[in-house]
Amino acid sequence: MSGPNVKKLRSKLRIVDVVSQAVRGLTSRKLRTALTALGISIGIASLIAIQGITEANQADAKAEIDALGSDFLFITPGTGVGEEAELLPYASAMLETHIDELEYVAALYPVDARARRNELVPEVQTGGVTVSALTAADLDLLEPVNGSVAFGRFHDTTSVEVPSVVLGSLAADRLGIRHLIGHPTINISGTDFAVIGVLNEFEILNTDLNRTAIIGLGVADTLFETPDNPSAIYAQVPPEQLDEVRDIIPAQANPAAPGEVAVSRPTEALEIREVIDETFARILQALALIVLAVGGIGIANIMVISVIERRGEIGLRRSLGATRKHIASQFIIESTVLSLLGGLLGVAIGVSIVFGYARYKDFEAIIPWYWLSIGLAAAFGLGAFAGLYPAWRASRLDPAEAVRPAA
Amino acid sequence: MSNAVLELRDVSKSYAGSPPIEVLKEIDLTISEGELVAIVGPSGSGKSTLLNMMGALDRPTSGEVLIDGSVVNGLRDPSLSGVRGRRLGFVFQQFHLLPGLSATENVATGLLYHGTKGRARKAAAREALERVGLGHRLDQKPGKLSGGERQRVAIARALLGDPAIVLADEPTGNLDSQTTAEIVELFLELNEQGSTIVMITHDQDLARSMPRVVEILDGQILDGADPADHDPADHDPGDDDLGDEPVESELEAADGDTNEDDAS
Repeated sequence: MSGPNVKKLRSKLRIVDVVSQAVRGLTSRKLRTALTALGISIGIASLIAIQGITEANQADAKAEIDALGSDFLFITPGTGVGEEAELLPYASAMLETHIDELEYVAALYPVDARARRNELVPEVQTGGVTVSALTAADLDLLEPVNGSVAFGRFHDTTSVEVPSVVLGSLAADRLGIRHLIGHPTINISGTDFAVIGVLNEFEILNTDLNRTAIIGLGVADTLFETPDNPSAIYAQVPPEQLDEVRDIIPAQANPAAPGEVAVSRPTEALEIREVIDETFARILQALALIVLAVGGIGIANIMVISVIERRGEIGLRRSLGATRKHIASQFIIESTVLSLLGGLLGVAIGVSIVFGYARYKDFEAIIPWYWLSIGLAAAFGLGAFAGLYPAWRASRLDPAEAVRPAA
Repeated sequence: MSNAVLELRDVSKSYAGSPPIEVLKEIDLTISEGELVAIVGPSGSGKSTLLNMMGALDRPTSGEVLIDGSVVNGLRDPSLSGVRGRRLGFVFQQFHLLPGLSATENVATGLLYHGTKGRARKAAAREALERVGLGHRLDQKPGKLSGGERQRVAIARALLGDPAIVLADEPTGNLDSQTTAEIVELFLELNEQGSTIVMITHDQDLARSMPRVVEILDGQILDGADPADHDPADHDPGDDDLGDEPVESELEAADGDTNEDDAS
């Protein structure tokens, strides 16, 4: 009487054990596991962080475009040929609605004056601050340019008639105005002007205003030499007429030299920047993918070493009934779990960077779920793929040789 | 015959080379249920290869290996692995314990490839550790155990799943004489409790303390070296020639000069 039919004795390994063996294999070599997973982590963290930051920037730019309206036009004397940039001779006429479609127009007039902290500062040291004037009709200037007051207030009908000034953020900084306590003044070409307000920084558009000291046109006319024509016009046009109006503005603003009038749509620059950001993000992400691939090679490398080191263990498992497939699956799962660990760590790092950046920039954090899932899927696939060759080698080890010390 | 758990019939094993190296030459060997057998021979005698054959770790070049009455050497990997896992227990010179696992967890791996649930594995492992006298060291990692204790853990692992036969490959090779004696004592005890055990060793004295000794030299079993050879019917006519062998092997032994006297 013989025992059970040996041909029916099949080895069996529970799925839960496959995974727990793999985890055991990794946790018993913590440092190595951590270092190997790091390659994958860096790749995936980069993928996610780049995407998150780009999306946050784009969302911000989009908000800026929405705030300004894509129908906002900025008209300046172009950099003319030869002569100094012409002002806009007929701008005032234009301002009086020569073009019906211009919905809102505000203008700034250049003032030939120099702003200083006080009279003791040499007049040449303007710190790059320019002086511009606006009319009582243009007190709503902040609206089209999407500006806001950091502290103090903007001009009103009274302030434009007296020596008072509103400073752009950079101008305030250069002139040393950090608060309005004690009613600070600045000196503009010999006259003291009371500082009544400072604007918030324009970060993307209208950055010219950052370095501008804005005074009333009435005061400017009295004290300084002021041209009749504005140096900058801010206009809003119904979107459907934008192209048409854009074409006729130069001739209206300066009929003598329409070629010297620059009409720009500032949001265009933003849109271009968005495209550039996008392109740049893709390039960086391609690099991150390369890092990821290198991480995968690192895993394959470590797994091959692991197979060599764990020869005895493999032999033992074979003697305990492990089939070739069991051995192969152990190493593939181990490599996959290792890579996924790296992936999860990478996701954590990437998301933290996205949150950190959003906090720093005061944006709303945008989690790039799509790239997050791409990253994890990549980690999974990469781990499995990296484990193939080592697993194959492990499964081909001759059990009789593996159980004995290497010769 | 009916209670033979392991049988080698005319087993030869050669390794490729020029000329091919013949490590085992037409070996006939039967291990019956309940036996404790020492297979003894100097290094290079082919005893490890013999254990590979008995343990289905390798396939013979010719001949048959029967475990539980079935020929196994033609089986494909999954079945062969199944036989190893279910019917055989192995004890190795290097213990082969997994460093990250406790004694209980190490022993429990003995049932890993049986598809047994983790809790049942551990329960069986604790029981086996009690059997080998390590009931007080259940949660120790191998690094905290002495050599003798490690080998006991390995033995407990081999006992798990109630194998038809336990094959021990130089189990005392890394142990001092005191510990060796303890392990031999354990084997004798386990055998008394019913386990069938085959132990490979190069140590003649150790072998002599076993109920049955099979001596191997140059890939052949020496006749007369096996006092417990109770199966004369199995002998083939070629055995008559073996009368000359001891002389030859004595010469070999003198050449090798690491061996003690030939057991005769």
